[in-house]
Amino acid sequence: MTAATQERGRTGSRLARAALLALWGLFAGFPVYWMLVTAFKQPRDIYQGPFFVPFLDFTPTLRAWEYIAGPARETVVHGLLNSLLFAAGSAFIAVVLGAFAAYGLARYPYKYGPYRNDDLSLLIVSQRIMPPIVAVIALFAMFRAAQLLDTRVGMLIAYTWFNLPLTVFLLTDFMRRIPVELEQAAALDGYGKFAQIWKVVLPLAMPGLAAAYLLSFFFSWNDFILALMLTFRDAVTLPIVITNLSAQMEPRWWLISAIGLIAMVPPIVAVSLLDRFIERRVLHAPRGEE
Amino acid sequence: MKGLKHLLIAPPLLFFFAISLVPLIFTIVLSLSGYSIGGDFSWVGVDNYVRLASDPMFTKSYWNTLLYVLLGVFVQYWLALGVALLVNQMASGSRPLRLLFLLPFVMPPLIVGFVWQTMFDSRYGPLSALLRGLGVGPVLWLNEAKLAFTSILIVDTWQWTPFMFLILFAGLRTLPREPFEAARVDGASDWRIFWDHTFPMLLPASIAAILLRAIEAFKLFDVVFYVTGGGPGGATSTVTLQGYFTALRSGNLGYGAAMSIVLLVTVMALAMAALVWLKRLAGRRTRRMERELQAFSVEFRERTAP
Repeated sequence: MTAATQERGRTGSRLARAALLALWGLFAGFPVYWMLVTAFKQPRDIYQGPFFVPFLDFTPTLRAWEYIAGPARETVVHGLLNSLLFAAGSAFIAVVLGAFAAYGLARYPYKYGPYRNDDLSLLIVSQRIMPPIVAVIALFAMFRAAQLLDTRVGMLIAYTWFNLPLTVFLLTDFMRRIPVELEQAAALDGYGKFAQIWKVVLPLAMPGLAAAYLLSFFFSWNDFILALMLTFRDAVTLPIVITNLSAQMEPRWWLISAIGLIAMVPPIVAVSLLDRFIERRVLHAPRGEE
Repeated sequence: MKGLKHLLIAPPLLFFFAISLVPLIFTIVLSLSGYSIGGDFSWVGVDNYVRLASDPMFTKSYWNTLLYVLLGVFVQYWLALGVALLVNQMASGSRPLRLLFLLPFVMPPLIVGFVWQTMFDSRYGPLSALLRGLGVGPVLWLNEAKLAFTSILIVDTWQWTPFMFLILFAGLRTLPREPFEAARVDGASDWRIFWDHTFPMLLPASIAAILLRAIEAFKLFDVVFYVTGGGPGGATSTVTLQGYFTALRSGNLGYGAAMSIVLLVTVMALAMAALVWLKRLAGRRTRRMERELQAFSVEFRERTAP
């Protein structure tokens, strides 16, 4: 093979790779784009469509956004605030409780009957394997008896339960890697055990805590099944608000798309921050000349 | 501070008992009863389970769920691996592309359902327009059993391939470079390099991605709920969806509970089988490495012997 044909072959395969990536990008991105343009359409631009390019084949309007800012404002803001409260609040509780438990599992030997550290971790993590429908049918009855159905406290409890296995799992490994000598030094300085954890260990575990927080936030924000079964008026989240708005013969796609765009902002922020964390950790790992 | 150790682990264990174990037992008890909302409690033994076996809607939902897991995980794994390899080969500037690829995963599942409902619409959906342009005539995606099933699989693939991509890409980034450079110097083809080096070294990440994805796939609910509502005629229904309709919409808590217990037992059995298999696989690998090491040391001794 001459150098020229080799060069041509390499350009060819590079082009093929770029084409494949572009194809995948189109598949991944188009539905999001479709939602974006739908949020700026008139009903007739939807039902006589499909129209693809704003200004070219349809005139964008702010109709949906005016409706959200006007008549639907209270409903949407109510759902938005609930969603934010549940996601941010339960993620915080789950990370704090998860960090303490992870610290315990990393530092102390446990023995409850036949259950030791690994068994306890497995018990906690196995909750994530259980399909939520199994717990939720009973949870519905239990919440109703405890008058927690459709309350903010109830939903904070439910989402903390949802996230705690994840934070314990993620943070145990993290805690193991924090050198125990630092705590011993703090103990010599007269710190109690609790102060050692709070003032020495947790600050060191900050990157792990942040990652666990973002993931928990993301999962609660995107939850649908818990909110669908356990709320109906006071504690409804944004997904339930959207569901109620769509419960009609012909759903108002422009409105749903607009609220959908709002609902996508927090998880996008969370995941792009998370991506930074992953990248930074990868960059610190030994990897040739990079 | 002797109690501290117990205090630390108490909250997760409390949550485990109160919101996982107690409801689980409660659900098992429910599943043995004919209890429905507003009705009386009565024991029916295993009647609910017997009834499930001959309930066509449930058996359909059950097999659908298994098929979604099997087909979905298979298709999504290979697609995600392909995309991860391609992105990993890019010299630099892959961050915007990566974020674009992650968009579907970031979208709340309920919105995913709505968007794809408009995508599939036979009158004003862009997919139908595309097919019309190709001369294929109006496709009623969601009205025919097999097509509707495929549609859900397409949406599931769109939504979850990014998740597997994320794990596999992170795995690829941590692989050492030397074996690949050595193989390239030896003149190995890309195909050989993939099967001899990349794939085996990526195995832990692959297993993690497949297990995590499979566990989530068993819970499939929201997208089906919105795109097809389980129809036509149960062709796209899943166990969770069926359980939700039975227990909370129709109020047959006992019968719905039995459905969810069958799902739980299935997931647990498969998870156990996977763990046992993985342990055996890991054992075989260690034994093989030991054998190779022994063979090497024998050879080494023979060669260095005077």
